[in-house]
Amino acid sequence: MPVRMGIFLCDCGGSLKNIDFPKVRENLENLEDIAFVDITHNLCLEEGEKAITSRILTENINRVVIAACSPEFRERNFGELLEKLRLNPGLLSLANIREQCSWAHEGDVTRKALELIMMAVGKARLLQPVERKEVAVNNEVLVVGGGFCGMKSSLELSQLGIRTTLVEREPTLGGKLKKLEGFYSSQIEAMIKAIEKAENIEILTSAEVTGVEGKIGDFKVRMRGTKEILRSFGAIVFATGYKTEVAAGDFPLKPGVNIISQERLVQLLQAPTLEARPETIGFIFDLSDENPRFPTLATLNNALAVKQRWGSEVYVFCKNVKVDSEGVEKLYREAREDGVMFLKFDKNPKISADDGRVKIDAEDTLLGEEIVLTCDLVVAEEKLLPAEGTEGLSSLLKIRTDSQGFYQEENVHLYPVSSERKGIFFVGNCRGDLDLGRVLADISSVVAKVYELLPPGKVIVEAERVKADPQKCVACLTCIRVCPHRAVQLVQVDSEKVVAEISQLACDKCGICAAICPAKAIKFEGYSDDQILAQIEAIGVS
Amino acid sequence: MKAERSIVVIGGGIAGITSALELANSGFTVYLVEKEARIGGQAASFCCKATEVCTKCSACLLPQKLSEVASYPQISILTNSMVVGVKGELGNFQVEVCQKPQYISPQKCIACGMCTEVCPTMPKAIQSPPPEAVPYSYSINESQCLRLKGKKCNLCREICPTNAIVFGQKPERQELNNIGAIIVAIGFDVFNAREIGYLGYGRYPNVLTGFDLERIFRNQGSLKLSSNGKEPKKVAFIQCVGSRDENHGYCSQVCCKYAMRLARLIKHQKPDAEVTIFYIDLQTAGKGFAEFYKECQGNIRFIRGVPVEISEAPSDEVEVKFENITEGKVDRENFDFVTLSVGIAPRKDSWELAKVLGINLGDDGFFDIKEPFNSTETNVEGIFLAGACQSPKDIPDSIAHGISAAERAMEVLKRCQ
Repeated sequence: MPVRMGIFLCDCGGSLKNIDFPKVRENLENLEDIAFVDITHNLCLEEGEKAITSRILTENINRVVIAACSPEFRERNFGELLEKLRLNPGLLSLANIREQCSWAHEGDVTRKALELIMMAVGKARLLQPVERKEVAVNNEVLVVGGGFCGMKSSLELSQLGIRTTLVEREPTLGGKLKKLEGFYSSQIEAMIKAIEKAENIEILTSAEVTGVEGKIGDFKVRMRGTKEILRSFGAIVFATGYKTEVAAGDFPLKPGVNIISQERLVQLLQAPTLEARPETIGFIFDLSDENPRFPTLATLNNALAVKQRWGSEVYVFCKNVKVDSEGVEKLYREAREDGVMFLKFDKNPKISADDGRVKIDAEDTLLGEEIVLTCDLVVAEEKLLPAEGTEGLSSLLKIRTDSQGFYQEENVHLYPVSSERKGIFFVGNCRGDLDLGRVLADISSVVAKVYELLPPGKVIVEAERVKADPQKCVACLTCIRVCPHRAVQLVQVDSEKVVAEISQLACDKCGICAAICPAKAIKFEGYSDDQILAQIEAIGVS
Repeated sequence: MKAERSIVVIGGGIAGITSALELANSGFTVYLVEKEARIGGQAASFCCKATEVCTKCSACLLPQKLSEVASYPQISILTNSMVVGVKGELGNFQVEVCQKPQYISPQKCIACGMCTEVCPTMPKAIQSPPPEAVPYSYSINESQCLRLKGKKCNLCREICPTNAIVFGQKPERQELNNIGAIIVAIGFDVFNAREIGYLGYGRYPNVLTGFDLERIFRNQGSLKLSSNGKEPKKVAFIQCVGSRDENHGYCSQVCCKYAMRLARLIKHQKPDAEVTIFYIDLQTAGKGFAEFYKECQGNIRFIRGVPVEISEAPSDEVEVKFENITEGKVDRENFDFVTLSVGIAPRKDSWELAKVLGINLGDDGFFDIKEPFNSTETNVEGIFLAGACQSPKDIPDSIAHGISAAERAMEVLKRCQ
């Protein structure tokens, strides 16, 4: 079909005085394929919408060029208007003659405006419609990990009507919660009961994920439990948690030396009877600055519990008390008011065995003195580390980990629960050091994101925006290697040929593959080589 | 009962905007009620703190969300507006909103700027919006405008191509009906450093707050001169101003990070400047921040303990009196300027809204949550909290909390359908 183009020029209510609009129109009218050039005043208002509508309905055009303000403001709305008028939004080309032209210069800018519009016209000639189609997706969700995060995520997903499968490698749900002092154990029990009762949650215990193929809307997940299971899920939420470890380098952990872990202390605190009450207890934490939130909370809770239950002398040695989580400052105050002593060091203290007891040799920066304290019991700092198997899962998923081995989020600040692969999410401590408030925010975020990406029933996708031409593709695998979203896969076209195919569902439209493809087989509609060259040639540069 | 698919979000800061976008993405209609003339909230006045590399301060996250919210047809933005009454219950609230006169209709203004050109006052009574403002429309300063002062001037109205300017408006009340849920995201007040007299803020020109410094960097791009016209060579930051004291039983969570980022920015722009940070406990949690702190230790002096007094010194310098722990004595040192790292305080008008909505305030003056495992639901069913009005939060945490609130609202509405 021959190109028939309509051009709308907007003079922004007559305010773009340094552009001679009649002259621009005259020049544009001399170009080929132009059906009309309209000068309008306010395309962004209702009158503008009417002007566009009536012209498009009567003129039977198949390309639209709009010269107005920055695409930032109105591109989306213009696209929606075209769609309403049965014209594909992919056939729209914009020129910014306000922010990047009229406002940017003093004096007459008619020539620059004309050139910007001619570039848009040059591109518009080569534009192709971008078809949208509805694709059916599976909106069942797999939640990996039956600790607090995994359980709460499953519950909230099920409350939104989303079918969930919860897989846990241990024989029971609950994760590490039982090992934490001061945690709400009755509420955890209630949560486990609620999950067992929920109709749309399936629980798989003693099972592990061993393979993940496919893409959002249809992940093929292999799991090994009592038997091998292969199932399809629309999205996967990883809530695989953390592990804690006492750094052997920092503490002389020898048999007979009374240095224990926080975990062991909680066991002692929860035991019905205590063999010998320790008179003096020392806690040491914040030896490094890494992942401080979790150890801080554990230390404060446990130190307070020891003080209140055993009445021991409690000393806490640390560099800084990390109070930047909700409620921790209050906990710190409560501990101090109850008589827990806090001593702050800059250089890490020396810890040595002293005849069955433990000697701590530290500087107190507040008093400016050396302090030597002999304790009956020392509770060592537990470092927060990624859970066992995190590395294996990350290579299975082809998703990176951060410098400490936790899962790397797509964007720590903007999309903290999303991964680079659409439909795969991380929640809670498997992505780093979080406190309860942040964990709760994570859980709700993941639920909202799943609901948004996989609304029950169907999902609409923009198909064919980025396309690999099977004729040109030589299956060099470059695109597969560079795609951060794992959206490209190889498909067999006939007995001899395999080619790259881009999943529109998984694709994030970043354009890396189109730029790098050595065979120039991948085309990013709207930004293809010929469209960009056409823009350059339109103003006589070559 | 049929729950309505309309939601009112009170407060157009980063948390409220995030909630609104999240809800609109899931098919809800949203009324975003903002007290000021423009949405964006506090985050709109923060500066980019990048040195040769991005320091991940998150100040740039707002403009992206602003332009998204502006182009969403399902989100109605009501600026200059306040919620003054609420009736009904979860699934069907009636929310009464009062809108101050705007004079220039944001729906009609196309930001062409012709009104400013003809405005005869000096400075101009009609001001252009900042580049990233939403809504992107001009506004009239009531105290400058001749017409609003009773004089006969009609120049702007005559030239406005879209008849967007209307005088003689009165505050308008409207009722939003069939509202399923309400999200409160009114944010925080920057702590007023004048409340701590011995720090000298407001009395000495070279005692600034972190918030002032943010604005200086945002508006000027760099730190030019102190009030005495001198290049600042010695700079101090004082942490925990309005946090962790007898009146504030919480850590504001943002100050250590912004102070270190601003300190790095100063060192980047003026490598020979000496920067000192006085602190109680340094908060370095968060992904990648421990590494950033290590870099800071290379060229920034950290002193444990916050100063006890600030006073004026000759040639407009500021004298800081602090405890020198290593030598066990009180030291005095002069600085070109001192920045008070002010914290996040609950909004002074929180209680008014709490009264209108019937929700509880907690000990620290922030809105209270119903139960520990749920950081967004209030004591009133169908009213949710988002962002720093619940407890201090930085920009990424406010975004995450905004998403949470939206999700909880969707879930609760789903349950009562």
